Amino acid sequence: MKLHCQSFQQNVSRRAFLKLGGAGLFGLTFAEVLCAQANGRQPRARQAIFIFLAGGPPQQDMFDMKPDQPLEVRGPFRPIRSNVPGLDICEHLPRLSRCAHQYTVLRSVTSRGYPLAGDHHAGLAWKTGNPRALRGTPKYPMYGSVVAKLRSGPSDMPNFVAMGDVASMAQGLRENYLGPAYDPLYVEMGSRDPRQVDPLTQIIVPQGIAPAEFSRNAELVRSLDQQSRQLDAAGPVISGMDQFQQQAFDILRSPRLREALALDREPRQIRDRYLVEMQGYGRLNYTSRVLAARRLIEAGVPYVYVDFPYWDWHGGVAENNSAGMASLAGLDAALSALLEDLHVRGLLDTTLVMALGEMGRTPRMNRNGPAARDHWGACQFAIMAGGGVRAGQVVGATDAQAAYVRDAEYKVASLGKTMYHLLGIDPDTELHTTDNRPLKLITEDVPLIREVL
Amino acid sequence: MRRVLFVFLAVLSMTVASNSRVRAQTPTEPLFSRHVVPVFSKLGCNSGGCHGMVQGRGGLRLSLFGADPSLDHERLLKEVAGRRVNVLEPDASLFLLKAAGQVPHEGGQRTALGSSDYQILRNWVTAGAKLDPVAKSNVKRMVVTPASQTAKPKDRIALKAQVEFVDGSTEDVTNLCFFEVGNREVADVDVHGNVEVLGVGDTSIIVRYPGQVGMATLVVTPAKAAANFPVVQEHNFIDKHVLNRLKVLDVHPSELCDDATFLRRVTLDVSGALPTADEVRAFLVDTKADKRSRKIDELLSRPRHAALWATRFMDILRVTGFTPGTFPPNTYEEYRAYEWLRSRLLENVAYDDMVERILTATSRDGRSLDEWAAEAAADMKDEINRQQPKTYSARKSLDVFWKRRMTTDVDHAIRVGHAFLGLRLQCAQCHRHPNDVWPQEDLLNFANFFMRVPHFTTMAGPRNKADAEVVAALKTKAKDLPAKGLQAIPKHFGDREIFVIKNKDLAEKTKKAGSSFFSSGAKSTGFATVTSPLGTQSSRQMRFLGDSEAVTANDDPVDRRAFVMTWMRRPENPFFAKAIVNRVWAHYLGRGIIDPPDDLSPLNPPSHPELLQELSAGFIENKYDLRWLHRTILNSRTYQQSSMTNASNRHDRRNFASFAIRRLSAEVLLDAYNQVAGVDVLFGKDRVPPAMPSGISLLEGASIFYRGDSSTTFALNTFGRPERDVEVVCDCERDDQATMLQALYLANHPQARKKISASEGQLARILQRHASMDQRITEIFLATVSRPPTPNEMKITQTHVQKAVSPQVGCEILLWSLLNSNDFIFNR
Repeated sequence: MKLHCQSFQQNVSRRAFLKLGGAGLFGLTFAEVLCAQANGRQPRARQAIFIFLAGGPPQQDMFDMKPDQPLEVRGPFRPIRSNVPGLDICEHLPRLSRCAHQYTVLRSVTSRGYPLAGDHHAGLAWKTGNPRALRGTPKYPMYGSVVAKLRSGPSDMPNFVAMGDVASMAQGLRENYLGPAYDPLYVEMGSRDPRQVDPLTQIIVPQGIAPAEFSRNAELVRSLDQQSRQLDAAGPVISGMDQFQQQAFDILRSPRLREALALDREPRQIRDRYLVEMQGYGRLNYTSRVLAARRLIEAGVPYVYVDFPYWDWHGGVAENNSAGMASLAGLDAALSALLEDLHVRGLLDTTLVMALGEMGRTPRMNRNGPAARDHWGACQFAIMAGGGVRAGQVVGATDAQAAYVRDAEYKVASLGKTMYHLLGIDPDTELHTTDNRPLKLITEDVPLIREVL
Repeated sequence: MRRVLFVFLAVLSMTVASNSRVRAQTPTEPLFSRHVVPVFSKLGCNSGGCHGMVQGRGGLRLSLFGADPSLDHERLLKEVAGRRVNVLEPDASLFLLKAAGQVPHEGGQRTALGSSDYQILRNWVTAGAKLDPVAKSNVKRMVVTPASQTAKPKDRIALKAQVEFVDGSTEDVTNLCFFEVGNREVADVDVHGNVEVLGVGDTSIIVRYPGQVGMATLVVTPAKAAANFPVVQEHNFIDKHVLNRLKVLDVHPSELCDDATFLRRVTLDVSGALPTADEVRAFLVDTKADKRSRKIDELLSRPRHAALWATRFMDILRVTGFTPGTFPPNTYEEYRAYEWLRSRLLENVAYDDMVERILTATSRDGRSLDEWAAEAAADMKDEINRQQPKTYSARKSLDVFWKRRMTTDVDHAIRVGHAFLGLRLQCAQCHRHPNDVWPQEDLLNFANFFMRVPHFTTMAGPRNKADAEVVAALKTKAKDLPAKGLQAIPKHFGDREIFVIKNKDLAEKTKKAGSSFFSSGAKSTGFATVTSPLGTQSSRQMRFLGDSEAVTANDDPVDRRAFVMTWMRRPENPFFAKAIVNRVWAHYLGRGIIDPPDDLSPLNPPSHPELLQELSAGFIENKYDLRWLHRTILNSRTYQQSSMTNASNRHDRRNFASFAIRRLSAEVLLDAYNQVAGVDVLFGKDRVPPAMPSGISLLEGASIFYRGDSSTTFALNTFGRPERDVEVVCDCERDDQATMLQALYLANHPQARKKISASEGQLARILQRHASMDQRITEIFLATVSRPPTPNEMKITQTHVQKAVSPQVGCEILLWSLLNSNDFIFNR
């Protein structure tokens, strides 16, 4: 019988496949690589940065402004022209207004109809591209885990790095049907929360010894292992572990990952563009995550996740020193600097950048203060840039109050499908759940977002 | 009854054009239900990834796996202005153009112009594209011949599939079936059922026709008879079966493993710990012939053996999810269940009794309200005083099992099926799984045994008089609780009682209780109901899985779960004993006799049926004695084989010709790490949850370890501890993959690294006790990999250690290296 992807995988359990992994690329079965790549087109994007604006960044206060509406709808901010005709954005995003030719604003991708739409938990869909709920649905993996499974970067780099908590408010997201094999490596950039700088971040710094000494010790492991290898045929289980150990040792031996995360090596004038000092709020550390993401991309990491809070603006933001204003200023600085830097380094074309939150905000402000709005699931914005995305445009349109999509509505799945497409990964690739149920990377039958291709 | 006229076409351009070995014929007047829908299934059109998706694909929606031919017919003919089917010009029918790739089709070309599949579809259109009476085409049975066959490589076998429809007619449907080989190293099959034998071994071949699935099995023996099969000593009947199969296949078994390997292997497998250096030494110098058997008996009586299997049963029973929506979940209930299980396993309660006490659990265990309230109050005191749940673990039945989410009706039937019968019934909620035998009806009929076990899913407090009495009783018995505990009783009592309700009260009670009282299904009828995107189904019958007769039960106050228990205890029950026997086997041998071990589908045949049969029969004869089962397997030569392979068994996985190497599981590996380092889990910043005794090992407590942010949690998750998510129906949730993060953890996690050089640790003790470097090296080897170093290893190590700045650092490096070596990470 013809050996096409589906029939080949059908009768073999997920684990059986993974156990064979040693024979292939880091636990990735050969058939899966072939299937994923054979159907994908020649990609331009090879790497990706996913900036998650945790909370719901308000569409009508940022990238979908409605200045003609009454104050309670249009909010306290005024639009300014961007360098793309027809795109006006928030006055507090001046730097992004000057580089709008480098990104595309999607106004019509919504989670409408998804479980938990309009709530923080909708992050389960936005980060997986599938209708995942807290319970009762398959535990779809995050984009980064899928990419980590199907792609690998340099041997001394992890395939998937995350800064901040990948789950943020979408609880349980870390659990997914791929198992822990494709979990991100968590690294943290100077977080205030002492728990987050705990061992997890230290794990990439050789403990108590110089890297050269580490290399020598690693050799002892290798030669002892070789001794016992002569005793029995190394099965796929062991050779799989050997490959992972090789990668782990390479990461520890090589200074590249640590250097990528050593932000003080960045020339001051470049680094400062990412940083924002807000009076009374101190330095916003999330912006350094974006700088670190750029450095990780330069070092070859296939997928970088940046948790960039905090956009849960129920309580009013428009005072100069509030957290909300800091987030606006931080995003303006970090995202514009990122796009510029990637461009200058010739990496923008091969690096897909996405920035989005888990929902939008209500058309009308609540009474808690300026720009205070509550959760809204029917409308929000997403930013896409680089990686072959046709930049400098606006996709879709919303109604007069940015409440509902009026034109070119796309589901979250379309965004996911488009992202995989740009990365040259066939969104119809089938992976197997713990129940051994075959599931496509994007399970819904949705169109690509043609406008950005 | 309309007789279907088949004109058998001997010579037609299309059959010539396609495979010349086509055997079955193409009907000129195909029926939609018998021929067209099967072709859709065979070509994958109605699969879950294509048009069989709930929302269809590319605008066309077909019923999943062709479950509803009438609906498919209607959609095919009436939608898109009838363009899909063109009776006047059949070749211009859109569905044919798409299937043959004549016009762009997202699913690609599925069949060739002129192929027999194409011709069936085309002939149906030519004949008017009619819908036949669908009910007549329901399949009564399918016969696949030859059902089992022994063959040699390069043989060719023609499979034939015959179906009998409910109207009595029969038909050769070979050409309409989908064939799938289980083990592709052994054979290949083409679309016409022609099997090509490739290599030595055995395999099943699944044959699918809509609504039916059949199977053929194939054993392939070598072309030349075995000449030099080694003479090996059988230890018990297990070896007889395993060796018989190996002889047939001419695959030579590996040697018996050496004593040091055996000791490490069996100590890890039975007690989840490493042997100490002293134990290794003592075992190696023991010269008695029965030393392995004695060691096995000794290990089986260790408390850690009970802890290991309590952990396994926690995985199998999936004891989590008590307070929906709260994170972290209520871990105290988990700890109760764990301790209850551990106590039963320590007592070595017969497996069937243990299951009965789980499956038919009620909170009162047949006692009065007063007696029960006294126990519950004492148990609450344990909890509040942060002691171990000793009151709870002395209870007769495990009512916590029924306090989880999803423990009523159909949901629970699925979970019982998986936990105690090794069946995966979840697909039957929506549709019949293409590779399994359970229609929705079977699931619903089984679920009806579980429909009357109420339990509260809210903490809303008492709702009626009976509830108020329960609360009052609890309050009386618990009056010496601190005020806070007393206040909590009305709020939490709902989580505390599981009982069985009388049938006639069911409707009344559900109505009163409202939506929060029962989980879905039971609300309206009190009978099993499933609702899925594919529709709603309900049944009022009670029937055991695989039985053809329904069970009649007149009623109250019988706990119908007890019927299930009686059925499970029937010696001829096809699943109950086999499920646990196969799981225990898989634990020790790395793969089930039926594999995956929790998939006892009739279509997933065992590799050694006679072995599974004899082992299960022996288990039942020995009164479901788990230790007998463990002991029998462990004493077999098969378990005690070396993992070193020979030229003939290098590629064998299915026949147990050598020992299957595997990674240590999360708790065992991390405990072993701590054991080697000589520190306990409380080392440094780690902490155990307040209810746990300090110094407890992970295996003895991991079941309830707080799932928040700590390095222990990180380590457990990294090494694949399962979440035990109630919704996951698969043993594979415990992840045994190797990952980069695991390697990184062992190499460089600060916490792990610090343990190595801990001043109170094992290394410090070795350095103090032994002055010579050689002795130190030997001790470190014994502690980590449970054997002395080989001369070569000694040499390599000495050279390396000498380069270190101090003997202490040298020894640290050695210990670190061994903890990162395959010999430590794997059980071999």
